[in-house]
Amino acid sequence: MNSELRIAVIDKNPVRAAILEEGLHEAGYSLVTRIDDTSALLDRIAALAPDVIIIDLESPSRDTLEQMFQVSRAVARPVAMFVDQSDTAMINAAIDAGVSAYVVDGMKKERVKAVLDVTISRFNAFTKLKEELEFAKSQLDDRKAIDRAKALVMKAKAIPEDQAYAMMRKAAMNENKKIVEIARSIITAADLLR
Amino acid sequence: MSQAASQATNRPLRIGYVPLTDAALLQVAKAKGFAADQGQEIELVAEASWANIRDKLVVGILDGAHMLAPAAIASSLGLGHLKVPLVSPVALGLDGNAITLSRPLYEAVVQETGIASPDPRATAHGLAKVIGKRQAVGAPPLTLAHVFPFSSHHYQLRLWLAAGGIDPDKDLRLTVIPPPFMVRSLTNGEIDGFCVGAPWNAVAVQAGVGQILHRGRDIVQNCPEKLLAFRADFAAANPESVAALATAIRQAADWCSDPSNLDDLTELLAQAARSQEEWSQITPKLLRNILAPTPGAAINGASLRLDREATRIRKAHALWLYRQMVDAHQVSDLPEYEATASSVYRPDLGLEPPMGDADSQGLRLFPRSDS
Repeated sequence: MNSELRIAVIDKNPVRAAILEEGLHEAGYSLVTRIDDTSALLDRIAALAPDVIIIDLESPSRDTLEQMFQVSRAVARPVAMFVDQSDTAMINAAIDAGVSAYVVDGMKKERVKAVLDVTISRFNAFTKLKEELEFAKSQLDDRKAIDRAKALVMKAKAIPEDQAYAMMRKAAMNENKKIVEIARSIITAADLLR
Repeated sequence: MSQAASQATNRPLRIGYVPLTDAALLQVAKAKGFAADQGQEIELVAEASWANIRDKLVVGILDGAHMLAPAAIASSLGLGHLKVPLVSPVALGLDGNAITLSRPLYEAVVQETGIASPDPRATAHGLAKVIGKRQAVGAPPLTLAHVFPFSSHHYQLRLWLAAGGIDPDKDLRLTVIPPPFMVRSLTNGEIDGFCVGAPWNAVAVQAGVGQILHRGRDIVQNCPEKLLAFRADFAAANPESVAALATAIRQAADWCSDPSNLDDLTELLAQAARSQEEWSQITPKLLRNILAPTPGAAINGASLRLDREATRIRKAHALWLYRQMVDAHQVSDLPEYEATASSVYRPDLGLEPPMGDADSQGLRLFPRSDS
């Protein structure tokens, strides 16, 4: 049954779109197509005739889709997914996750809810992944700064690596700062004095 | 929603806006300290679409928003989305839209009209002839764009088309394009014209791909545009904050009306423009022309009003917009719906000074042709 649903995904972020597509495939939805929102959106949607349209909340093309519920001869009439008040919690979850979805008129709600569940969880997973990547990147940046500062200290004082590191750590403890802050101060000072 | 309503508002309020010239009063209220002086700090959050503005306002991610006036009415009526009553204590301006056509369509309309008439009723008949000729040779229907189903842009286009006997649902295609993409869509031939707010008409002219046919105010003068909207429950729970911001907006309007602040205003908007990636074409010179057109110069499409009188929240506007929504087949004509539309406009919440007996600046349809 599920495999019959035709799903269009509009998302500028290719990584997130791929994660979502994979999630939908795993849940048994095979007819998933990613469409570009830059131009002729309505024509593409008309050609695809999706049952569900999933769109990144930050895509300006949402307003173009909204128009399609009002007047359209080109496509089957999609409507906003949640038009009754009982869906408030799900709408909140979708908006928090940064996604919105539209479905064609007459689609059974239960069928679509499963699609939205997958979408929300994949969008949230992507956000978490992105945060982890950013965290990892900032850790890597910290590591690089400490290494560079250590090299500067080693050179300036002609001491071995472990001693240079110990000096920096002592300075950090004395000043009640993180070692990476001390490292950045050393780098700044070295740049200024060069 | 009750949880959002009960939050204390000593914190800065998050106000969403769509980057357009008519977000100016919010920018000024913040940057020039009018909101802070009223005891209510604000944080401005740029949003990519009117749908986002609505969604984030109704679920409480935003406290208030720069909102298309008819979109606020649509939310209160539950059209197309959750039914959440919204209210507005103050408007953020009047007028400012324009209809721009691609150069070929502009030429064709002028040719059929006979002259480049300032009367939209004349050009609408010209357009009808163009459409008739296209239909005769089996050419694809023309496509005109506006910005949102519930927008004065949409209604201005419909009024213009109706004046020429053109059925907007049969004789051509009406579509929605996000304002920053209008000029590109006109350039690549996806659309043949549009009705949009500042600065995008001026951008199309500057890029040489479009020609402004009419200002919005040539179709409807003193046309309602954007409101500062809140959820009704939020406004009920935080009347001081809502009144404070309405006062700050009126002060910002006075500040914008003072010609000695024009340079400052231009720079403020240019700065805001630089933070938006699609706004690279928007130069201080272009903005200055929009804000203060040189007398006698070619129409620049703006005539955006940011003065104090333009911030007045007029019930007559709500009723007029409701009428347009009915005419566009967006809502049934029922007295209770009309009452709901009217209830969005709340001059009392903004502590607005009374207007006097007659509104000297009421709506006027096709004002130029009256004289």
